[in-house]
Amino acid sequence: MSDMVSETQTPEGDEELVTPVYVYGLIRVGTQIPDDLPGLGPSGRVSVIEHGDIAAIVSDIPLDRPLGTRNDLLTHEAVVDTVAANEAVVPMRFPAVTAEEAVVEELLAPNEDHFRGVLDELEGRVQFTLKGRYIEDAVLGEVLQGNAEIRALQDKISELSEDASYYDRVRLGELVVKVLEQQREEDGEQILDRLEPFAVSVVANQPGQPEDVVNAAFLVQRDRLREFDDAVENVGQDLDGRIRLRLLGPQAPYDFVPAE
Amino acid sequence: MTVSTQRQGGGGGVVERGGGAGGGGLADVVELILDKGLVIDVFVRVSLVGIEILTIDARVVVASVDTFLRFAEATNRADLYSKGAKPKDLGDLTQSITEGGAKGKTSGALDAAVDKFGELLSSRREDREEAPRRRPRPRERDE
Repeated sequence: MSDMVSETQTPEGDEELVTPVYVYGLIRVGTQIPDDLPGLGPSGRVSVIEHGDIAAIVSDIPLDRPLGTRNDLLTHEAVVDTVAANEAVVPMRFPAVTAEEAVVEELLAPNEDHFRGVLDELEGRVQFTLKGRYIEDAVLGEVLQGNAEIRALQDKISELSEDASYYDRVRLGELVVKVLEQQREEDGEQILDRLEPFAVSVVANQPGQPEDVVNAAFLVQRDRLREFDDAVENVGQDLDGRIRLRLLGPQAPYDFVPAE
Repeated sequence: MTVSTQRQGGGGGVVERGGGAGGGGLADVVELILDKGLVIDVFVRVSLVGIEILTIDARVVVASVDTFLRFAEATNRADLYSKGAKPKDLGDLTQSITEGGAKGKTSGALDAAVDKFGELLSSRREDREEAPRRRPRPRERDE
């Protein structure tokens, strides 16, 4: 930690000098961390603070600007994902900043057993996130076919000027969104049903946009990655032309960190 | 990283691969690392250190009027695309804009509709200049 910035001014004239560190995640001592893994601080590097058999991946932080740039976020995730690609890591939520001495005193030492338990759970497992989105033209065609009210509204709108049809257009969009949201429950469930057998655990998150079908995290055994990947590909092929799937990972197990 | 390249050996693939170290888009990253992951009381110490943290709102978007209008627009496009211009619809459209001088052909009707719309535009140019939508878009987050 010798390359860290060693002091900073506190805002209200506090005399205490603290060395702030950024904490990316927790690992077991001995976990491989690439030497050239970039950190978000001025040193550009990450290091490790150990306590017993657990450790925190840390780095210095920039002191001349607020944290939260695009690059800070991407760096944070790149650090935990790189480690997670091969070994167990408990990822921190962004932004995780604390005083250097607090990493052991307040983070690692008091929670040692808990962290060890969480790391044991994650051993040999890694997260993937699956996102699915409707292919607009294909699915809107289906929506129109299946809904007379929407078609009628559409006909009405086509006869009005843009201004005059404002409220009808809002209503039309609202109906379409409602149909899509019903539709995705069915489609999303089918996707999850087919992939669940390949995962240790699944967390279905709420899809963000009306055209999003599925947004789920899978905790997968490392020795079954190939099977899982093939299963996703098969589902993707069956849905091709209607739903587009994106598989993100391997990722740090963000969705499987137990609530404190 | 090891796994995302795996597919190359497995051949083709309709599923888009990404994420993992350095490979994800910002939106995917934000969704993960701002909302999830370990948080412990110790981090109230942030204030002691004196670092300003930018907060970024990464909530699920609640469907708004803008969303509805976007889908209405997309639906109208999808309809034209899938069933072409149905004679009945076109007839109605033509009739309703006769004053605009439509000639009853597809292109004529569409041109006329555009003309008519154009008139509307010019009569309220001030409104329209930079705002094709009728309602102001929600402002980009200020915080």
